[in-house]
Amino acid sequence: MFYHKRNTVLTSQYNQFILITEEVGAAVEESGIRNGIVAVTSNHTTAGIMVNEALECLESDIDDALQRLIPEDHPYAHARILRDYGSTAGNPTGHLKSMLTGNHCLFPVVDGKVVKGDAQEIYFMEFDGPSQRSYTITVQGE
Amino acid sequence: MGEVIDIHTHPAFFEPICGTEGLLEQRRQALGLYKAGTSSLAHIYNQMRCAGIDRLALLPLDLSTQESQTIVSNEEIRQLVDLDPQHFIGFASVDPYRPDALDALEHAFGDLGLAGLKLHPSRQNFSPASELLDPIYALCLRYNKPIIFHAGLSLEPNTTMRYANPLEFETVAARYPRLRISLAHFGFPWVRETAALLLKYPNMYADTGLLYFDSAREFYEEVFTRMLGKYWVDRSLRHQVMFGSNNPRFEQIRMIEALRNLGWRASTLDLVLGQNALEFLG
Repeated sequence: MFYHKRNTVLTSQYNQFILITEEVGAAVEESGIRNGIVAVTSNHTTAGIMVNEALECLESDIDDALQRLIPEDHPYAHARILRDYGSTAGNPTGHLKSMLTGNHCLFPVVDGKVVKGDAQEIYFMEFDGPSQRSYTITVQGE
Repeated sequence: MGEVIDIHTHPAFFEPICGTEGLLEQRRQALGLYKAGTSSLAHIYNQMRCAGIDRLALLPLDLSTQESQTIVSNEEIRQLVDLDPQHFIGFASVDPYRPDALDALEHAFGDLGLAGLKLHPSRQNFSPASELLDPIYALCLRYNKPIIFHAGLSLEPNTTMRYANPLEFETVAARYPRLRISLAHFGFPWVRETAALLLKYPNMYADTGLLYFDSAREFYEEVFTRMLGKYWVDRSLRHQVMFGSNNPRFEQIRMIEALRNLGWRASTLDLVLGQNALEFLG
């Protein structure tokens, strides 16, 4: 069996952590699939999917670490007009942060439930907001 | 800190006036914003909040004789202002070659209550100093409405830099000293010409909607500290420069932050970010 859905997110900050664990669990339940895998995938190159513990202190540390590694004020080659877009690419940091978090995560599904560690939560990571975003949840199994 | 006004935005992709896929694609091609998507007002408000902007001036574009199309109409601008008069300032557009151009503009000012006029000489194909425009300038004076002229480089299709050099506008500023006119995009690449005109003509303004190279911080530093003298805006032009983003081609959030990093006095920033726009709007 195969189940696929697309969720949309209206982000409200330049960089933003958005918990989507409940949405993923609900999609698995809705799929009716008992055993298999669930994949969560971002549809963007300046946003990501991250698995980590949902603590305010950790969100602060992760945000701080990403900013240290990828500062706003740096001579990025991507800072230029893109003819195919007709607009300025002001988002090199978004692309680079997205590269670090990756664009997806994967979990087993057993007996209709997502199998994850107690501390593990799933985040949609905005790195070039505010924006109108989407991610997909795909469940495959039987 | 005072009110922050973005005097130069294009609402072509705002959801309430861009409801079909066909219209979206038409506007993408017409504006040369090939991957733009529709924006809900909730998203626009998020952008404004993140950038610290209180109000947006919305600019339409009437190309009825040159390209048989109106990219955003005066009525659509009025529709947006009616949806949210707290956040939106509506400008009018008129194609000067329309036989009914004066009637259309009178309707825009008198009936629709729009706050000013946007003209685009290099796309609407007219010289700003042409006598064709005199009745339009007179009408703007009669209604005490300012004019924003496109000036300098445009990335839109069907648009050369003919009629876009800031010097094209000197005759208008000299002939109509009570008419407030703004040169959009600071007339880039002719920013020194724009600065010279602002120095001489107090009825001339310019906006900051230029981000043609580099990041906002790098490009504003280049323009406002090297192409122009570092102190020119802060000392001499501080009452005539207005924040304008040219959004959605350029992103407001980083432009405002870059302006704040130019070393201008706090009082100059207040003028540029909002107070000058209030003066310009009358």
